[in-house]
Order: sequence, then structure tokens, then C-alpha cells
Amino acid sequence: MVLKVFFPQCCNRADSGLLVGRWLPGRDTAVVLAVIHYPFIPSTVKQYLQQIQGQSQVPVEVLGSWSMPSEKQEGLDSFLRDLSTIFPQTRWLQVSREMGQTGFSCQLLQLPPEKEEEEEDRVIFVHYDQRKVMLSQLHPLESPALPGCEEPSELRQMFWTVAHSEPLFLKDKYDEGPLKLSHWQSEGREASILVELMKLASTPLCLLLAWLLAAWSWVTSTRLLNLSPLRFLSSKLSSCVQLSYRTAHMKTVTSPHTATSHTHFMRKANVLVSLLLDVSLGLLFISWLYREERLARLASALLPAADRVSRELEDLLQWLMGAPAGLKMNRALDQVLGRFFLYHIHLWISYLRLLAPFLEVILWYGGLSAALGLTFALSLLSDMLALLTFHIYCFYVYGARLYCMKLYGLCSLWRLFRGRKWNVLRQRVDSCCYDLDQLFIGTLLFTILLFLLPTTALYYLVFTMLRLMVVALQGVLHLSVDLINSFPLFALSLRVFTPYRLAEGVKFRVLSDEPGTALHLLMEMNALGLGEVVQTYRTPTYSCYPPDSWGALLRKLFVGELVYPWKHKTTKTD
Amino acid sequence: MGPDIAPGPAVPWRKVLWERQPFPDNYVDERFLEELRRNEGIRQYRYWAVVKEAVLVGQQLSCVAIFITLWLYMEQGLLSPEALLWTSLIVGLLGYGLHNALRPQLGSDRKPRTHLADLQSAAIFLSFTFGFSPVLKTLTESVSTDTVYAMSALMLLAHLVSFPYAHPSPTGSLSLNAALFASVCLASRLPGALHTFAMLSCALLMFALWPCLLQSIRDHAPGPSAWLCVGVCLGGVGGLGSRWPGGAVLLALALVSVILLCPLLLVKLQRHKDNIQGPWDEAEIHEDLCKVPY
Repeated sequence: MVLKVFFPQCCNRADSGLLVGRWLPGRDTAVVLAVIHYPFIPSTVKQYLQQIQGQSQVPVEVLGSWSMPSEKQEGLDSFLRDLSTIFPQTRWLQVSREMGQTGFSCQLLQLPPEKEEEEEDRVIFVHYDQRKVMLSQLHPLESPALPGCEEPSELRQMFWTVAHSEPLFLKDKYDEGPLKLSHWQSEGREASILVELMKLASTPLCLLLAWLLAAWSWVTSTRLLNLSPLRFLSSKLSSCVQLSYRTAHMKTVTSPHTATSHTHFMRKANVLVSLLLDVSLGLLFISWLYREERLARLASALLPAADRVSRELEDLLQWLMGAPAGLKMNRALDQVLGRFFLYHIHLWISYLRLLAPFLEVILWYGGLSAALGLTFALSLLSDMLALLTFHIYCFYVYGARLYCMKLYGLCSLWRLFRGRKWNVLRQRVDSCCYDLDQLFIGTLLFTILLFLLPTTALYYLVFTMLRLMVVALQGVLHLSVDLINSFPLFALSLRVFTPYRLAEGVKFRVLSDEPGTALHLLMEMNALGLGEVVQTYRTPTYSCYPPDSWGALLRKLFVGELVYPWKHKTTKTD
Repeated sequence: MGPDIAPGPAVPWRKVLWERQPFPDNYVDERFLEELRRNEGIRQYRYWAVVKEAVLVGQQLSCVAIFITLWLYMEQGLLSPEALLWTSLIVGLLGYGLHNALRPQLGSDRKPRTHLADLQSAAIFLSFTFGFSPVLKTLTESVSTDTVYAMSALMLLAHLVSFPYAHPSPTGSLSLNAALFASVCLASRLPGALHTFAMLSCALLMFALWPCLLQSIRDHAPGPSAWLCVGVCLGGVGGLGSRWPGGAVLLALALVSVILLCPLLLVKLQRHKDNIQGPWDEAEIHEDLCKVPY
């Protein structure tokens, strides 16, 4: 039989006394939590342990005795042995330290004592750091299943026991009382007065913010703002989407309920830290932007840039209307398409001229939004980019629709060409007997579409490339916004500065393995990997759901379906 | 060798599996090859009958040749589109009259098409062709001439390969479409939109309507229809000879080999046919499933 004893490091040099802890149910494992020193009154000890049990839900009991050699106490062994009769237990541990030895010696008394000393017990002492084990959270996080529903692992039980017996550790070394305990001592509470004050102050602040948020969500849910064009517009503008996300985040942070579970607490802390980071970055950005007339320069540079883009597009269209790259295209269709797009650019330029006087004002007020956070400024930038490149989007949509229709028509006409048709009910291609006029018109259209396809495809290709450039820019902006929104900065800093807080299993180191004495192991925490930290604690946002894979994107581009920068898969419908 | 395996002369072997017999499973007796049958259901072809059918193939070949001839005339400006249109109209009307005259005697159980439906179809053909002819005219402008010729040749070949020679009346989709595709390609190289229109109408007449008429003539009078086919063949050779003598010689050679040589080969080689059938063949259900009462 192998007996495992988890022994706190802080009790190594404690005075003699009683071992307090818990036998893990169903296993030969004891978790020692504290040592109660002499002298004590047994009934007080029992009463105290019952009180602790009531507070912490951990079945704390007396495990055995602990003897530390000192000058005063000789012949203590018989007394210790007698103690077991005072605290009736089925198993009684007798741990003692010798003067010159590093290891402990241990005896297990089985009560009733018929089996006593009959078989050789091997004892393994596992020394653990009580503070670290108490504070750490074992990963992977288990789902909150009902206790007893499934037997948790030994290590998990041990962690649970230590973490939940916090009331035991609250008793101070300097407290005057009938009992003297030895366990992990906190550094004292005086240092955390500031924290306490902040805790006190946070409650009314949270209430105030929650009230403001409730008012804001009431405003956004009024019927006037939920009319169909406004709703559609706000779902397309990334700044509005960012606003709704930020509102949800603020609601999480300012909810008046204290976080009970570890996950909930981490979520709140992460959101709060990323919020603070975002706002401070935004303030930095404002302080940069509004100095040295940068805004005016930006506004005056923006319009010529847009003009220049339009002129480049015109050149591109002229090139396409000739014989681009030596390709021979259908001249008539080429001319029609080219003129159509040229007219569009003309419209666009006049629109920009109309917009020019207001641009600086718009930029000035837009820049103020960075006070809400850098993410707002970035989202607004993305929206402005989308608005300024609207003509490219239009070209792309026209080209894609035309191309898509052509491809679709060619597909079905090719089936007609072979005398087949698509059977919708059976989802397959069937043979079909067409009429003479159907065949004739179908073939005529097929020929026309086939010969016109290269021209359309070229226009589609060019405009898709332009569109993809804009989409890539917007994607970078969205990615950075999303990074700030969802990055678990708090968890990561916790992992960096106090690695034991987020543990992923433990490792053991052999302290001493002398023959004849018990084996001594030192338990150390394995810190959670950084990638795991990010994966576990990132705040879920829309881009956690992956956008189209590259293959799907290519297929969409080939077929001529419209491609958007970021498909919101979980759009909030109501 | 158990006693139940030893072949007793008293027990005759029977070809049944549901009875336990003192023979191994793969046992057969000497009567096995008596059930062998050779060339069951063979039809003895006679030379002239085969030639009469083969004329149909030659006729289709000549049709393609005639179409190419007409295109050559149009392209070189020797034939005005108006003349072709008027000729097509007259020939079409005559053919329609003949088709209508032949139809009642067929006595088919299908409901015949009304004149209104025919008129509708004709209107659709003409309006679509006429409306699209300017588009078709510029369709292959930027494509090189060789590409167009190669594509047309390929499509005409596909038309000839996939043509349903046994029953030309419901023209096969692929053959008709291939022929129309080729004619659109060729017509788009002609100098004017009216040329294109005339050429497409002619193609419609030749590839879509002529097989229908020929089928009804064949059903009604098999003898004269063969001579009609021979006439078409001669016309094709003569027409092609007027613009391209080398092509005409090639066409004549092809026609002779298809109409005269291939049937000869078939009849000659029929002696060597040796098909065996017997009890080892898989079962055939002879009953017509449509007649099973249910």
C-alpha cells in the first residue's frame, strides 16, 4: 500500500502539534492543511474544525500528530500515541522529524488496531506551496458538473481542497486565541486598504454606469432607430457594430453581480483591461492627431488622393477598351461596358466635389470618437474607406453580377446543348426531349454567351482585383480592432508575472530518497502555455468564427459570388 | 468416395439444384453441348437493302456539303442574301405543304401539331434570328478565322457523328445543336447582317426541317425516298464541284465508299459471324413489362 501525504512547505519547521487536513475520499491520500500547536483543548479543536467545515464546505478533520524535536519535550511519543484515542479516526498519521535528518518518519496506525503494523506501508511525502496551490487554477477548466456525478482526478481534488479551505488560513499567527495554527500566512491586510477602498467605490460607480447603459440601450431600441433602412445601414457600418460590441462589453463589466466562477471573473477582468487599454490608446491618438494642424493637412490630402484614384481608374478603363495585353475582345461589348463605367466615374468625381468643403469638419468630429477608444477611430476609418471607394465596389458588383449571370446561363445552356436538363426534384442531370424552337434559341444564346464571356471575364477580373485590395485594407483594420477587442491582456499578464496562477498540471522533483525513510517529492506548477492562455481567455467576438477558407474564397471568386470583407456570421437579429 | 457420391447407373442426372443428387455440383453430362445455338436471330442482309439504308448517311453528308457550298457562294458575293431568302421561303413552303399532305396518311396515335403552333414556331425562329443577326455578325470579329473554321469543322463532324440516322424525325439535340453552332460560327464571318440572317434560316431549313420531311417521305414511300437521297447526293457533289473541285472529288469518294463499299464489306463479312448462345447465358426476361397486368 502506498500512502501519499501532501504536506505544505510552510509547516516543515512548525512546532509539534496536530495535523489538520482531509483524507481524499476513496484514495490513500491525505492533504495536510495546517498544524495546530500545543497546548490545546480537544473540544475547542473539534468545535473550531466544525466551524471551518461549515464555512468552507471542506470536510476538515484531524489527520494525526506532528512532532518536531526540541529540548523541552522528551518522551512525547506515548502522549502522541494517546492522542489518537481522543480524536477517534480510522487512520492516524504519526509524522515526526528527527534532529539531524532532513526526512520525516511516518507511522500509520489503523484503528481498530487488529491490522496494525502488519504490512509494510510506503509513504510518499509531496511538499507543496500552499499559497500557490490555493491561488492557482488548474487547466483545462472543467465544466461545472454536479459534484459526485463524475469522479474528478486526485490532483484536481487536492487543488479543490486547498483552494476552498481559505477560511482556515484567515486565522492569523498573531491572533490571540485558544488555538495556535501554523499554515500559510498572508502578508497582512493592511497593505490592501487601497484595494478595499476601490472595491467600496466601484459599487456605486458600476450602478451609475449600468443605469447609463440601460438608458443608452433604451434609446437604441426605440422604434425610430429600428426602421428598416437605418437598421440595414447600421449593420453595414463597422463603427455601429463596434458600438454595439462595446455596449455589450460595458454591460459585462458593470453588471452589479460579483463574478463567482473563475471564467466569469477572468472575462470581466479581461474586458476591463482591454477597455482601459483601448481608451488610453485612443487618447494618445487624439493627442497626436489634433496637434500641429495634422487634421487640416490630412483633409487637404485626402481629396486629391481620391481624385487621383479616379483618374487612374479612367486610364485603366481606357486601356481595357482598347486591346488590353493583346487580348482580342468583342469590340462592341467592350465599348458599351467601358462607356458605362466611365460615366460612373464621372458621377463619382462630381460627388467628391460636392463633398469637399465638408471634409475637414467631418474629419474633426470623427477624430473625437477616438476618445471612446482607438477601436472606434479604426472602425470609423474603415467606414470612410468604404465610402470613399464606393465606386470600386459598384464596379465590382456590376462586373460580378454580369459574370455570374453569364456563367450560370452558360452552365444551363450547355446542358441544353447536350440534350440534358437539371432535374430539381432528384438533384441530378436528366436527359430531356426539347422542342425544335427551344433548341434553336438555346443554341443561339449559348453561342452568343460563349463568345462574349472573355470580355466580361476580363472586366470582372480587373475589378475584382481592385476590390480585393480595398477588402484587404479593410480586413487589416478589422483585424486590429478585433485584436484590441478580444485580446486577453489581463490573463496574459497574470501568466507572465505570476505563472502559478494559471497552471496546467504539476511536475514533481525528488527531494530526498534515502533508503529506510519515506520518499520526499516537491510539487511544482506547470505554467499554462501562452497560446493556450490566449485561446482560453480571449473574449469571443465575431471574428472568432473563421471567415471563408481560402479554397471557398477562390471558388466564390471564380463563380462570381460577391465577396465581403468580413461576413458577420452571428448577426444579432432582434 | 462415399457411397452417396458413387454414380449409380440407375440414377439419371437431372439439371436441378433443389434435389440432392449423387453428383458433384459442377457435374454436366454429355448432353451439355446439345443446347448450343449459333447466330441466333441473325438477319441476313441483302446488298441492295443495305445500300438503300446507307444512302441516308450519304445524303446527310451531302447536306453538309450543300450548306458549305451555299456559304462559299455567300462569302464570295456570288449569291445575294435576298435570293437565298426567297428560295428558302419557297422551298420551305413547298416542303411544309408536302409534309402536311403526307401527315394524315400516317395515322399516328399522337396528337398532330396545329397550324397555329407551326406558325408560332416559325415566327419565333424568324424574329429571334433577325433580331440577333447584328449581334451574331460582330460576334466572332476578334476571333481569328482559322479558329472559327476549326470550330465549325469540329461541330459539323459532331453533327454527322451524333445524327440519329435510323429515325431522323425527332432530331437529336446534340446533332442539331452542333450544326446550329457551326452555322452561327460560319454565318458570323459573312459580310452583312442580312447575309447572316439568310444563312441561319437556310441552316434551320436544312438541319432541322429537312430531316423531318425526309422521315415522313420515307414512311410514306420508301422507294422514291431513296432516289431522292441519291438526288441530294448528286446535288451535293455537283454544287461543291462548282466552287471547289478537289472537295467535290473527295466528297464523291466518301459517298461511294459509304454507300457502295461499306455495305459490300458488311455483306461479305457476315459469313464470318459466329455468335454462340447456350444455357450458360444469363437469364433474359422476354415478357414485355408493359403488358403485365397490375
